[in-house]
Amino acid sequence: MVNAFSCLLKKKVTETRPLPDEETERLGREIKREIDARFGRSLAIRELDAGSDNAAEIEINNLSNAFYDVERFGITFVASPRHADVLIVTGAVTHNMEIAVKKTYDAMPSPKFVVAIGDDACDGGIYKGTYAVLGGADKILPVDLKIPGNPPTPTQILNGLLALMRTAGKKP
Amino acid sequence: MPQVMPEDDAATGAVRELFGAAAVARITYGCNRECSVDVSEPEFALAIPWLASRKFVLISLFCVEGFREGAGHSLLSIFERKGSILILVRNITGKRAMSIATVFPSATWPERECRDGFGIEFDGAFDTRRLLLHEIYPAGFHPLEKLVPDTPVTTNDNVSTADEYPFRKVSGEGVYQVPVGPVHAGIIEPGHFRFSVIGETVFNLEIRMFYTHRGIEKLAEGKDPRDCTKIAEAVSGDESVANAAAFCMAVERLSEITVPDRAWYLRTILCESERICSHLGDLGGMLTDVAFPLGASQFAVLREEMFRENEKLTGSRFLRGQLCIGGVNRDIPADALAGFRAFLVQFRKQYKVGLSIVLSTPSVIDRFSQTGIIRKPLLRPLNITGPAARASGGGVDVRVNHPYGIYDRFAPKPQPLKDGDVLARFTVKAAEIMDSLDLINEVLGAIPDGATRSDEPIRDGYALALLESARGQNLCWVRVQDGKISRYKVRTASYCNWLAIEHAVPGNIIADFPVINKSLNLSYAGTDL
Repeated sequence: MVNAFSCLLKKKVTETRPLPDEETERLGREIKREIDARFGRSLAIRELDAGSDNAAEIEINNLSNAFYDVERFGITFVASPRHADVLIVTGAVTHNMEIAVKKTYDAMPSPKFVVAIGDDACDGGIYKGTYAVLGGADKILPVDLKIPGNPPTPTQILNGLLALMRTAGKKP
Repeated sequence: MPQVMPEDDAATGAVRELFGAAAVARITYGCNRECSVDVSEPEFALAIPWLASRKFVLISLFCVEGFREGAGHSLLSIFERKGSILILVRNITGKRAMSIATVFPSATWPERECRDGFGIEFDGAFDTRRLLLHEIYPAGFHPLEKLVPDTPVTTNDNVSTADEYPFRKVSGEGVYQVPVGPVHAGIIEPGHFRFSVIGETVFNLEIRMFYTHRGIEKLAEGKDPRDCTKIAEAVSGDESVANAAAFCMAVERLSEITVPDRAWYLRTILCESERICSHLGDLGGMLTDVAFPLGASQFAVLREEMFRENEKLTGSRFLRGQLCIGGVNRDIPADALAGFRAFLVQFRKQYKVGLSIVLSTPSVIDRFSQTGIIRKPLLRPLNITGPAARASGGGVDVRVNHPYGIYDRFAPKPQPLKDGDVLARFTVKAAEIMDSLDLINEVLGAIPDGATRSDEPIRDGYALALLESARGQNLCWVRVQDGKISRYKVRTASYCNWLAIEHAVPGNIIADFPVINKSLNLSYAGTDL
């Protein structure tokens, strides 16, 4: 029978997984240092799918799994643009999303940064010049950083965010 | 290569009974053994109620321009019954046709799609709102027409409130609306959900999609088929292999290309790996949505390990760039396959541990059970497919009903449940992961040596391909003319199952919507195209 006391006293069920990811750890430490210095220890990111094929969303979600666990470096994904420092845009901006993209950006407080993730968000990718899309995120928003890839891996995204942190302080 | 069908084929029988024995001579059999017949509008009107009463399911309806000599547009309605496929072709003039949405509700979206894409008006249609093209697009713009070039359009600068999408209105004392989206709170794709709520209980849900409409079908037109595999992969990120495989299959069928055996073994391994990744994401997502992170993180770790194995096998975490028309681009060496097999042994052990933690947690079962029920009578009219159908008592699986590649030799074991709630969908998906693991293991044990691609030329023609993706039946219809794609029609499983959510949610509380949504985990991108 399950007893509250026995649950408290018995050995905790836990395991340490081998995570042979020196690179992630190193990247994370550097990002944390930058975030601590420039963003008061916490960087809030709002993700916006402007016409992505959902692969980039999966990789951004993967940043929160136990292998990367980016929250320990000070990165949080927030629900509202009003809480966000950074807007991550994925996918070529479709006409059907145009208004929503603009509204989301406008809802963010300044100073704010925009990062385009994936080939399509960077310059329109395979959809460039077609009827249904406006093009890359820079057609509608001031993009501070582009992280290409189809989609970029979680490590590449982290590398990109580190680059953003390093240039962020120089933004007027 | 027309094949003579046995007399008891349901589709052939239907044509004989509907249009008389003489009409059987009009049938052409496609490369997929599908039975296709051109019908006049009166014949079509006669056939529709008959087909509905004989349990035929409308799996797709789409328009092709210049399909038959002399006819401007042709509407292809594809029906399925017990592994038999019937295609009724209506060659229409004057861009008018009869709506069948009242008899076959699964025609509602396709008819609206034909209206947006080609400007075809459906007589008697009860829903004539725009679908693909939101109010920002100018009126009278029909991008899929051959005369319209795939170039940037001038959109409406100001969308007035009068042009806004009219949602179904639900009114009465205490009824209020909760609009959600297109931008959601989580890291997910855009879509709009309009809840009409009484107290906490959802009374009505209407879903508006197509925010990520990227013009995929038009994008492929005029391109060399070999350049279009990457377009097929972009239909939906987590179904890259499934959509690429369906596209390749269609082109291979119309060109009569024989894919080498080893290539099909490799494709099968990739398809099943993709299914495992997708299902793991769903299981984890459902647990996140009932606030059980212990279970969710177990599956997230396993999924990440699987993504890393994918990368080792093919160089892409999403298995992209691997498939090509005629086979696969790169062989996977034997030692890599052996390594994968060893990985799967460990994987299976850890997966079982994770699953047993979840299934022995009463609070999880309590949230899952009796939540978001999809009832069996909805399956046929809405053409609900995949694990969602198998959790509601439907025995549909393309791998079993229309085996392709090597699935005739390595058939999965259907494990349908009847309850149709979130728990049933969780259990079905969990069992399918084990099933896919078994399947990959068997395939790895029997994989032959040999060539991995055929370089036979691509011919002109058209073909239909059906394939079981992680979410269910994917349909792909390709026509090649003068060596270029002239029509690429994709209908993913997600497209079918969205309407199932509209029926599963009412009666539940709003707080259960995320877990119901996640239990189907449909692709927005795969719907919006």
